[in-house]
Amino acid sequence: MLRIRLHGRGGQGIKTASQILGTAAHLAGFQAQDFPLYGAERRGAPIVAYARFSKNIVLERGPVAQPDILLIGDETLLSDPMAAVTQGTDASTLIFINSRHTSQDLKKHYHLESLPVQLDISELCQKYIQKPMILSTALAAVGVRLMGHIDLHHLLQAIREELGQGRINPEKIAANLTLAEEVFQKAPSFDLEFSESDNGFSASRLVILERRPPVDSAPLIFATGNMAQRKTGNWRTHRPVVHNEQCNGCGICYARCPEGDIRMDANDKPVIDYDHCKGCLICVEECPKHAIEIIREVESWN
Amino acid sequence: MELTGKKQIMLTGNKAAAWGARLAGVDYVPAFPITPQTEIVETLSQWFADGHMHGKYTNMDSEHSMFMAAGAAAASGVRVFTASSSQGILYGLEALHTIAGWRVPLVLVNVSRALATPITLEPDHNDVLSLRDTGIIQLHAETAQEVFDYILMAYRIAEDPEVCLPVLVNLDGFYLSFTREPVVIPDEAEVREFLPLFKPSQPVFQASEPMARASAVFGGGNYSYFKIQHHLAAQNVVNIYRKITQEFSDRFGRFYDAVERYRLDDAEYVFVMSNSFATKGKAAVQHLRKNGIKAGLLKLSLLRPFPSQIIAEALAQRPKVAVIDQNLAPGMGGILYPEILKAVYRREDRPQHLLSVIGGLGGRDIRAGDFMNILQRLDEEPGDDPLFLFDEKDLKQFDQLRQIAGFSREARVQ
Repeated sequence: MLRIRLHGRGGQGIKTASQILGTAAHLAGFQAQDFPLYGAERRGAPIVAYARFSKNIVLERGPVAQPDILLIGDETLLSDPMAAVTQGTDASTLIFINSRHTSQDLKKHYHLESLPVQLDISELCQKYIQKPMILSTALAAVGVRLMGHIDLHHLLQAIREELGQGRINPEKIAANLTLAEEVFQKAPSFDLEFSESDNGFSASRLVILERRPPVDSAPLIFATGNMAQRKTGNWRTHRPVVHNEQCNGCGICYARCPEGDIRMDANDKPVIDYDHCKGCLICVEECPKHAIEIIREVESWN
Repeated sequence: MELTGKKQIMLTGNKAAAWGARLAGVDYVPAFPITPQTEIVETLSQWFADGHMHGKYTNMDSEHSMFMAAGAAAASGVRVFTASSSQGILYGLEALHTIAGWRVPLVLVNVSRALATPITLEPDHNDVLSLRDTGIIQLHAETAQEVFDYILMAYRIAEDPEVCLPVLVNLDGFYLSFTREPVVIPDEAEVREFLPLFKPSQPVFQASEPMARASAVFGGGNYSYFKIQHHLAAQNVVNIYRKITQEFSDRFGRFYDAVERYRLDDAEYVFVMSNSFATKGKAAVQHLRKNGIKAGLLKLSLLRPFPSQIIAEALAQRPKVAVIDQNLAPGMGGILYPEILKAVYRREDRPQHLLSVIGGLGGRDIRAGDFMNILQRLDEEPGDDPLFLFDEKDLKQFDQLRQIAGFSREARVQ
């Protein structure tokens, strides 16, 4: 069995990447399974998807706790503890990061146990499909390359099949195929071994619950206003930045922000709460003075 | 999407359900979305819009109207498909009892999701098992292939002249509904040989031929007659099922008994499971066998009618059996446990230790280690208490949640 976990954000094609991987492995003759984890997520929110490949029938379901390969499409997630990107990994996990930084720098900066594989696939996405953060094709191509065992033509056929379902025009699909070929050439191949070892077969300590009074046993919430603890700033793919010198202090951004994440300071200038701003950019739309700039959240450090 | 002429394609459980409805050639789909079922009706609505399916797709205003519309359409002699989940099924529960009593054939899919409260999106089987007394036939699927195959078989069962009842196909949310795996999709001509276009075997609503279905009866005797007949028809599905599954196997090469006996023959320890988590049970069986422990698994597929005799025979002479209920009837325990107990009760060669296990509630994973706990308990003296799969890791996580919810015992408990 080979277990792959993919991390990115809603809207970056992470689920599609897992499906291209699944189909490519299936075409190459493996037993395959792929699975996104979603519920209430939306654009920008951290997204996880999984794929499992085996020479025999896949007798596992649900999230991959200990991946053999970790594919990180959006580097900013690494500095977000809530995204828990490296959970369940150890020195033997093959980690890929879409980044401009070198492997050595990434290892040091994020305290990784092993040297990650690095490639700036966003640059290649920009070059071929003019969208640096639509990662479906490129991330799948990296995954195929890292695991090995899958030929280029199976990858290309998988891309045709998966993107062909989404009403994407033929020119765009052709551009994705060229992109895949380039990533396939550039990413290193490891030909990982399929381990047949069983994991986790040791009994955990079960807890016998005692009856508690209703106040302690019904789903009650006493902490009002605790939504502030749920930091949603990591959903943001684009950051609104206010240029105070252009701002006339009208307060429309403050009034229109659907999350209530903008307050007006003593000088009537807006202050954005980046811990919670999801990057919807309604403030940018609404600002009559065009004083709010959009900056793409690309990496966690320069 | 068009079939590429390939035998196997990667499909989610939901997409496999949509393909089942499409190749069954359904005439009418009344629909209402709910997570995690939405992908099914979304796919069907696209296929109707694109001309891949012919007939009528209607977005309804609720699940109650949806099931009523489904029943009424079936009564007028067209092939009907619909799908829901969880609270949606419950909202339509009154309609489901009603249309089952109409004795009309149709197929509905439930994508299991645990019931509120507390609210969640993840699966357990309290939703589908709340339909166990409706007299609707139930088939529970472990894989996406089973979802597809069961839908075709379900139409044959529902439309059988001896049956004329709704048939429900169940699949787990997330673990199957959103999980893609290889599925063999036959071409339409092959399907049509197994499942011809619908020709009603009983009277249907037609112009100039007045008839009523939703009759009122007074006097319990009259009521009893219809209910006992409903019961006899449902019970007879065990026999009808055998015939249909054999025919399916002859045509498509995949055989589905009412239960699946996975390495049961010499098993000393047996896990009784249903739906997608049976896959995890099979992995545990493989692991235990590798380590010299004779384990096996009994997968329940046909849940209604309950194939008591088949289950009793499968469990005969198996000394230690754990029934894993992914549901909980508070104040009673696992829902399937007493049904299994009833099935084996009269036999002298019944299991000596029949353990009730309750786990997988609200999508709580049943982990490899849980099977080891079950094994340990099966080696102990039998007792009355069920084994709840809730461990220190779960408690730790819960304590964190309670902190966020602002729970403080000193402040709240007198």
